[in-house]
Amino acid sequence: MNRIYLPLILFVVVVLEGVALNLLPSFVVMGKTFIVPHWALIILLYYALFYDRQDTYYSVIYAGIFGLLIDIVYTSVLGVYMFSYALVIFLIHSIRNRFHGNLYAVMLLGILGIGLADGIISIVYALVGLSNMSWQTYLLHRLLPTELANLLFLLVAYPLLAARLQRWQNELPGHTSI
Amino acid sequence: MSFFRKKGLFVLLLGIILLVVLVGYSLSGRSQITLPEQFVKDTVGWTQKIVNAPVKFVTNTISNIGEITDTFKENRILKEKVSEYKGLVYEVQELKKENKDMRKLVDKTNSIRDYKPIQAAVISRSPERWVEQITINKGKQDGVKENMAVITAEGMVGKIQTAAQFSSSVQLLSGFDQFNRISAKISRKKGKDVYGMIEGYDEENKMLTFRIIEESEKGIKEGEPVFSSGLGGMFPAGLPIGKVKEVKPDQYGLTETALIEPAANLYDLSDVIVVDRSLETDNVTEEGTDQ
Repeated sequence: MNRIYLPLILFVVVVLEGVALNLLPSFVVMGKTFIVPHWALIILLYYALFYDRQDTYYSVIYAGIFGLLIDIVYTSVLGVYMFSYALVIFLIHSIRNRFHGNLYAVMLLGILGIGLADGIISIVYALVGLSNMSWQTYLLHRLLPTELANLLFLLVAYPLLAARLQRWQNELPGHTSI
Repeated sequence: MSFFRKKGLFVLLLGIILLVVLVGYSLSGRSQITLPEQFVKDTVGWTQKIVNAPVKFVTNTISNIGEITDTFKENRILKEKVSEYKGLVYEVQELKKENKDMRKLVDKTNSIRDYKPIQAAVISRSPERWVEQITINKGKQDGVKENMAVITAEGMVGKIQTAAQFSSSVQLLSGFDQFNRISAKISRKKGKDVYGMIEGYDEENKMLTFRIIEESEKGIKEGEPVFSSGLGGMFPAGLPIGKVKEVKPDQYGLTETALIEPAANLYDLSDVIVVDRSLETDNVTEEGTDQ
């Protein structure tokens, strides 16, 4: 049953990303700072850390599917979010054993993951010619505010998701007690 | 387990190839989107319509509370304006009738100014800020097609980028580049109009760049309004685009470029009008199409 919840949560979050900017006051949107919600990536990060076992790759597969969904719905360039989300979640999945599953580890991995994903996306868009921003302005006006805003979402999501996902993990087929 | 581990590099390579193929495919200047894409867009758009209703209610309530404080003063000014408009309405009606009669006289029934409006509501805005794109709740079933102009009451905001069956994506003026030009003009008396092209958006100044094609001796002043000329073939004539803010020579000093402040607010959008040009267009256009 809880297998249905995972894509459902991701779908709702992707939909919410589209109205997120309407909720912010207009001077934030009109100003020079760029805040990009990477909420789906954060949810995927929780899946990778708390739901997946070492030998299951649900989070990576969902990263590919929902990355493509974001590409189709919100940008007209296919593949960019799909590639960057899947790659970042795959990397996080493969180094997750070195971290304990506590809030600090999640925050650290979240900061790294968001930075890497947003970096890849911006580099691809720059190569394609969609964006033309010098890297100093990118760091200051886009990466920094994006990191902070998404970190806020990560902190809100932690009490809601972490324990619940671990409970669902125990119900995965083929589970042996750790 | 060992599949992903050992073949991680292989999968990464495959991913990069897939990325290049997909990006190349989506940038190849296709004017139609595939059926699965339309389906996904409509599904998400449908959910967004539901989510958007409470969100809109909350934001409207907040902004209404802010506006109430100025209401009294605004009301007085508006009353004065309304009485002015009353006179204007009669005048416009007279002129319209006269115009129609004149057209009949010269056997020219429809002009590039005419269009059919399609009302639409904005249901989401792309969270990716490199891509200036919004989604509206009208699609092919409502008569929306690719490359139609999108306006608000203040002026032009963009054009339809892709249309699905029940929703469509709008590329905002702030996302325009040299592949999405608008043929525009500054109206002057008796054939002295200044023609040019809106060629892109200046991120730093938040203004459109308007390259003037005709000789530049005509002395463009600050504050002059810029309209679409309708000569590009896709958009009707006479849609307000913005006002001239600054004029400067281009890098070779041969032509002049004006910076145009967009007439419409591109950030606070909730209701828009899709413009369906009445006059049929031929296929050879340079406006809107991505070459």
